[in-house]
Amino acid sequence: MKAVGARLPRYDGVGHVTGRTQYVDDVRVGRNLWVKALRSPHHHASITSLDTGKAEQMKGVHAVVTHLDVPKNVYGHLEGLGVPADEPLLAEGDVRYKGQPIAAVAAESEAAAMAAVEAIEIRYEERPALFDIRQALDPDAPQIHQWGNVYPHYGPYNHRRVRKGDIDRAFDDADVIVEGVYRPQAIEQMPMETQVALVVPEASGRLTIYSCTQAMYFSMGVVAAHLQVPLNKLKFVGGTVGGGFGGKVDTASETICALLALKSRRPVKWRWTREEEFLASSTRAPWHIELADAVTKDGWILGRRTLTLHDSGAYARFSPYGLTKHAFHHSGAYTIPNLRFDGFVAFTNRVPTTAMRGFGVTSVSFAVETHLNRIAEVLGLDPWELRLKNANRIGDTSGNGVVLKDPSTVPVTLAAADRVGTELSASFRAMTPEPRTGDLLPAHLVAQQSLNGERA
Amino acid sequence: MAKHRGRGFATIEYPTGMNQNGDPSQAWIKLKPDGRVDVFSGTVDIGQGSKTVHTQIVADALGVPYDWVTMDNTNTDSSAVCTGTFASRGTFIGGNAVRLAAERVRERILDIASKELEIDPSDLDIADGEVIVRGAPQKRINVADVAGAATYNYGELISGSSTALKPFAEVDDATGQVEIEPHSAISYAACVAEVEVDDETGEVVVERMVQVYDVGRAINPTLVEGQIEGGAMMGLGLALLENSYPYYPSVEHRGAQFGAYLGPALRDLPELDNVIIENASEDGPFGAKAIGEMANNAQPPAIANAIYDAVGVWITEMPATPDRVLIALAEKREPRRDGKRVIFDEHLSVRTISADGGASFLGVDA
Repeated sequence: MKAVGARLPRYDGVGHVTGRTQYVDDVRVGRNLWVKALRSPHHHASITSLDTGKAEQMKGVHAVVTHLDVPKNVYGHLEGLGVPADEPLLAEGDVRYKGQPIAAVAAESEAAAMAAVEAIEIRYEERPALFDIRQALDPDAPQIHQWGNVYPHYGPYNHRRVRKGDIDRAFDDADVIVEGVYRPQAIEQMPMETQVALVVPEASGRLTIYSCTQAMYFSMGVVAAHLQVPLNKLKFVGGTVGGGFGGKVDTASETICALLALKSRRPVKWRWTREEEFLASSTRAPWHIELADAVTKDGWILGRRTLTLHDSGAYARFSPYGLTKHAFHHSGAYTIPNLRFDGFVAFTNRVPTTAMRGFGVTSVSFAVETHLNRIAEVLGLDPWELRLKNANRIGDTSGNGVVLKDPSTVPVTLAAADRVGTELSASFRAMTPEPRTGDLLPAHLVAQQSLNGERA
Repeated sequence: MAKHRGRGFATIEYPTGMNQNGDPSQAWIKLKPDGRVDVFSGTVDIGQGSKTVHTQIVADALGVPYDWVTMDNTNTDSSAVCTGTFASRGTFIGGNAVRLAAERVRERILDIASKELEIDPSDLDIADGEVIVRGAPQKRINVADVAGAATYNYGELISGSSTALKPFAEVDDATGQVEIEPHSAISYAACVAEVEVDDETGEVVVERMVQVYDVGRAINPTLVEGQIEGGAMMGLGLALLENSYPYYPSVEHRGAQFGAYLGPALRDLPELDNVIIENASEDGPFGAKAIGEMANNAQPPAIANAIYDAVGVWITEMPATPDRVLIALAEKREPRRDGKRVIFDEHLSVRTISADGGASFLGVDA
């Protein structure tokens, strides 16, 4: 019997549905301590004083850590690509979002740890905060990030660009230009398992890190960088996660636990409360997308101008990557020969946003697909036929210049139309993904095809 | 008051494994002396079923029964690098890592079997755990016996490892163009949503969704359907219910518990009709592309378009909560026309909201 294509039961399904799968919080080791964190109560402030002395002396407290305890406190996921680090593990000088961790305590119980957190003496000087990305470059906008209010490291540019074809000509040639604004919201990844880690300091000097990460090697790299240790000092144990949806690509709890385990020489466990999961863990990013499409009366999309603002929250994390993915896919499942895209990662004083299912593309799919229906409405055309006409075909080039080998815009659209009994004219029903010819290869797409020739 | 029905749809595409590449997954496989298979992979299973899918891929790439294969993805000491479970890369890139490792193990099995059978390895095949001779089906040796011979007669551990890696795709920052594709494949999907909108309460109910997905090859159709249906509910939450910042861009009034944050629940579940199309990819394991992330991308625009079909208003600030629907119905905003321009949503634009009329964002080439 072939396994591929078979409806085999889930490999670990019985364990999941009988409660026998071991998640991080199910792991029991002797004598572990519990962690709680001091988090910023302000959206934007300077820390003017920080004293953990009293907290350290409290009963049941074994270790307190601040930025002073972190070998490399400021880290960035894109350092390997030459982008400087921007996010401290524990806040140092400034706090840039409500909920940002400043210090952490390991104690005999969660209650003792919380009491010690409350005994940490800290003073803030509040600063004006920025929340609306559309005002990030206003002259009087609060300056909230070391780089200014937008990410400046797309090569020499402070924005991700796409320039393809002759956009001005497309807009001159258009019969109609349809413009619209789309604002997909932030949502929670909402995993059943909140952020959690257990770190055990072994007799060998290694740390065993029980982790809910979606990416063990990636997170091991993050911990190794903060601790400045080689990978043989760390062992990540994980691989089974109680829901991630992107939020557990962030290494949220492992590093702080590792520091506390090293300092206390005891196993430490940190399990975020549901409230922390909602308020202090990352969300999907809110986006602001402005589209202008140059179209002909009979429904050809000649060109698209796009402005995208991506609300990164207080730090960059994966946002520059998410925006690049957004840029690469902003023409959707369609072939648009002339494109001008400018996208900005803008900082605000909200919890840093991060990966979530569909990262970068969920937002632009909403914008593009709603916009296409508006175009159909403005032109008085059938939205199915508008899409089929402009659909990606074999040999077309994508917005970022990739020749498409096996596009399925046409088959999935026709299958959906068929399933709900939508009537299409015969020429549309007969469409395939095969390369364009005849009426489906108008002059503005001939140029597109010759571009394929040059690249092939 | 009246309830209005509407239908909308959307067609989308999504990149498999777009990290601009340069993000490997590695795997290694060894045989026990009875031919049973131990796979070590770093791919984290976040519930999507990668352990199952990878086990199926290994079973067929080797030609052994599925239940011979044990999957260990539990720790970084025994597993090699997997960059991570994100970017919809698990089935394609992680799957290719275990497939390529299995192909190397298969070669070692055939080499040992060749010695045992005294037949050239190119004439051998493996099926259902037995090495068979092409054209001479009576001549065969069980993989268990091959592994035993390797261990006890030849002093060899049958094993194999591999890395699935595409080179990093550089982007021209001036134009956004790439020289090599930054993804491993592209998956496509279409979604039709049928809704009922109450013009008195503003409530939108999704009654039915028809969803078509090209996943290249469904390694496990049940798991693909699980992604389609789970994704449908997440997409429905995006379209109608969920919002971390209910008064965005304000940060006030965040929900901090399940009871204070409106996610989709079973009461919201519409009738779902799932269609899987298999337009095989060139390079994926057994032709697979991906399904994971794209599964919540098509519903929000399909539902927004259905709302327009039902009551004639565009909801372009997500989600389409009852208050937003009622406000849109009351305002009935029309686009402004300026020559050949038809301008929707001007009140939301940076041109309206920023201090400089949007020049800082819009005038980057000025």
